Amino acid sequence: MNIQEKLTILADSAKYDASCSSSGSTRANKNDLGNAAYAGICHSFASDGRCISLLKILLTNCCIYDCKYCLNRKSNNIKRAIFTPEEICEITINFYRRNYIEGLFLSSGIIKSPDYTMEQIIKTISLLRNKYHFNGYIHAKAIPGASEVLINRLGKLVDRMSANVELPTSSGLKLLAPNKKEEEPAKIMKYVKEHRTKYFAPAGQSTQMIIGATNERDLDIMQKSSAMYQNYQLRRVFYSAYIPVNKDKLLPTILTPPLKRENRLYQADWLLRYYNFKVEDILDENNPNFNLLIDPKADYALRHLDEFPKEINKASYYDLLKVPGIGVKSAQRIINARKFFKLTFKDLKKLGVVLKRAKYFITCNNKYFINESYFNKSFIESNLVLEDKQEIKRTTDQLSLF
Amino acid sequence: MNIYIYNYSFLNLLSVIDFLITNKIKPANIKNLSYTPNLLENPINLKIKDNPEILEKIKTNWGLYPLKVMYYVYLANDNYKELTIYYLYLNFLKYGRITLNLRKLKCVTKSLEISQKVSNEAHKLKGFIRFEEMQNKVLYSIIEPTHNVIYILANHFKKRLSNEYWMIHDKSHNIICLYDKKRIYFVNKDNLKLDNLKSAAEELYSMLWCNFYQTIGIKERKNDRCRRNFMPKKYWKNILEVRDEYEKSN
Repeated sequence: MNIQEKLTILADSAKYDASCSSSGSTRANKNDLGNAAYAGICHSFASDGRCISLLKILLTNCCIYDCKYCLNRKSNNIKRAIFTPEEICEITINFYRRNYIEGLFLSSGIIKSPDYTMEQIIKTISLLRNKYHFNGYIHAKAIPGASEVLINRLGKLVDRMSANVELPTSSGLKLLAPNKKEEEPAKIMKYVKEHRTKYFAPAGQSTQMIIGATNERDLDIMQKSSAMYQNYQLRRVFYSAYIPVNKDKLLPTILTPPLKRENRLYQADWLLRYYNFKVEDILDENNPNFNLLIDPKADYALRHLDEFPKEINKASYYDLLKVPGIGVKSAQRIINARKFFKLTFKDLKKLGVVLKRAKYFITCNNKYFINESYFNKSFIESNLVLEDKQEIKRTTDQLSLF
Repeated sequence: MNIYIYNYSFLNLLSVIDFLITNKIKPANIKNLSYTPNLLENPINLKIKDNPEILEKIKTNWGLYPLKVMYYVYLANDNYKELTIYYLYLNFLKYGRITLNLRKLKCVTKSLEISQKVSNEAHKLKGFIRFEEMQNKVLYSIIEPTHNVIYILANHFKKRLSNEYWMIHDKSHNIICLYDKKRIYFVNKDNLKLDNLKSAAEELYSMLWCNFYQTIGIKERKNDRCRRNFMPKKYWKNILEVRDEYEKSN
C-alpha cells in the first residue's frame, strides 16, 4: 500500500473528530522548525466549512472494539491501514514547512491493548519532537484505559491532550460502546487537570461527544458539559452531530445529521464559558430541549423579559453580556467608551456593536429604538424569528431541517 | 490644494506629520513619492529627514498599541490613510492616552476599522500562504493581498521557519521578501530574476495535501457558504488545494 492510499484511509477515518483547534500554546521555536501561535491559526477550510488547522489522522484504523456508531469498528469490513512513525513524521514536517498545517492531531484505533496503542502514539510523537525537532502544535488523543505512566509521558510531549467521553449518558455508552467504560476518560481528565503545567499539555485538554445517536435530552448534555468544565477545567467540549455511517438496529435512522441542534449546543456552551450563564438559566426539567427557532440567549431574554431592557450607559459588564447580540468584545468596548461620553444607538454602531438583535433589549439614555409600547414578548419574538428565517432562506443547505 | 509628499517609509510619514503639526500646516492630503497629482493639486516635497525619536515619543507618551494602530493604517490600501494618521496624531497630542477610546471622533473610528482590516488579512494569510519547495530547497510562495501585509507575515515566518530559506512574493505590491536564516530582506520584484523549478519532492507532497483536503470534508455536512465566509474566494487563486476548483468556476 502506498503512502497516498494510507493517508486517504487514515484521514477518512479521523475526519469525524470535531476538534481541530490549534490555540492555547505558546511553544517557542528553539532555532529548529516551528512554533505555536497562541490564538491558533486556521490554514484551510474543508468543503463542510470546518477549519483545517492540524493534520488530522489516525495512527491506524484497526480496532479491537466494536462501537456501534464508529466507522472503524471491528465488525466493519473496510480497508485497514497503519502508519509507521517515520511516515507520520515525514508528512507532518513536509506539510508544516509548506505552511499547509499548524501541527499534528494524532488519534488511533485500539490495537492489542490501550497501553500498546498509547506506546505507539508516544513513540511517534517522541520521534517527531526529538529527532525531527518539530516545535509546532501537537494534539494527541489519550487512549482511555492506558496507564498513568504513559499519560504522563504523552503529556510532556504534546500541547493538548484529550480523551473522548463519546456519548453524553452512561446508558448510551453501555448500549452503543459496550467495550468502553465511563470512568476511564474521567480518570485521564483528572490526571491531566492535576498535572497541567507549561511543560505538560500547556494548551489544556478537551473532549468530544456524539449527539443524536441515543435519546438523550439537551439538558443531560449541558449538565454533563458543565460538570466537566467545573471538575476538570476543560478548554472545550466538542459536540459532533451523529452521522449515520453504519447500519445497526440500535442506531437511530436519520437522513441528515442534527446540525441545528449541534449549533444550539455550541451556542449554549459559549454562554457557559464566557457569559457567566448557568445550565439552569438555559434549560430546566420543564424545558429540557433547545428551541430550534431561537438561539439560547435570545430564548433566555424572552423568558426573563422583566430584566430588560438594559440601559447601555449603566448596566454592569455581566448584565451587558446577557443582552442577545452583545458579546464579550462589544461589552468591553461599551464599558471602555462610556467612561468618556454617553452612548447613543448611533455610537453603538460606530463601536461595531451589531444591533440586529440587541436593539430589542436595550435602551440608550432611557430611549428605546422605537416607541416603547412595542417592548413586549410577542413583538420581539416574531421579529427575531422572522429575521432568522430570512437568514435561513439564504443558506439553502440547511433548509431541509425545517 | 497642497499635497505633502513623504518617501515611502512609515518613519518618514510620521516625521512629515510631526513637522506639519508643529508648523500648524493643514494638508489637503499626504502622499508618497509615487503619487501623480492632478491639475488642481500642488505637490510639496519638504524632504524632511527621518526622526527616529518620534517612535520613542509615541511609545512612552501614548503606549505601544497606538503605534501599532498607526503602523497598520499605514500598511492599508486606502486613499486617505495618511490623512487619517495625521488626524489621529493630532488628537493624540490633544487628548493623550485615552484617544483611542474616544470613538466619537471620526479619525479614531476609521483608524481602528482600517487597522482591524489589515490585522485580519495578515492573520488570514498566516494560514493561507502556501510554500513550494524549489530545487535549491528554497521555499517560495505567492500572495496577492489587498493590504500591504508582507511585513507582518515576514515577522511571523521568521520565528516559525527560522532554519529554512524562504521567500514570499507579493504580486499586488510587487515586493519580494527573502529570508536567509539570519535576516529578512525586502526587494522590489523588478530587481530580481527568478527561475521557478520545483524540487522533486514537491509533486508528492502537494498531491498528498490535495488528497487530504478532499478526504477530510464530511459530505453529509457540505456547506459552501460557510467555507467561503472563512476562506474568501479572492485568496483561492494562490491556495493550492482550492486552486483547481477556482479555475473551474471561472
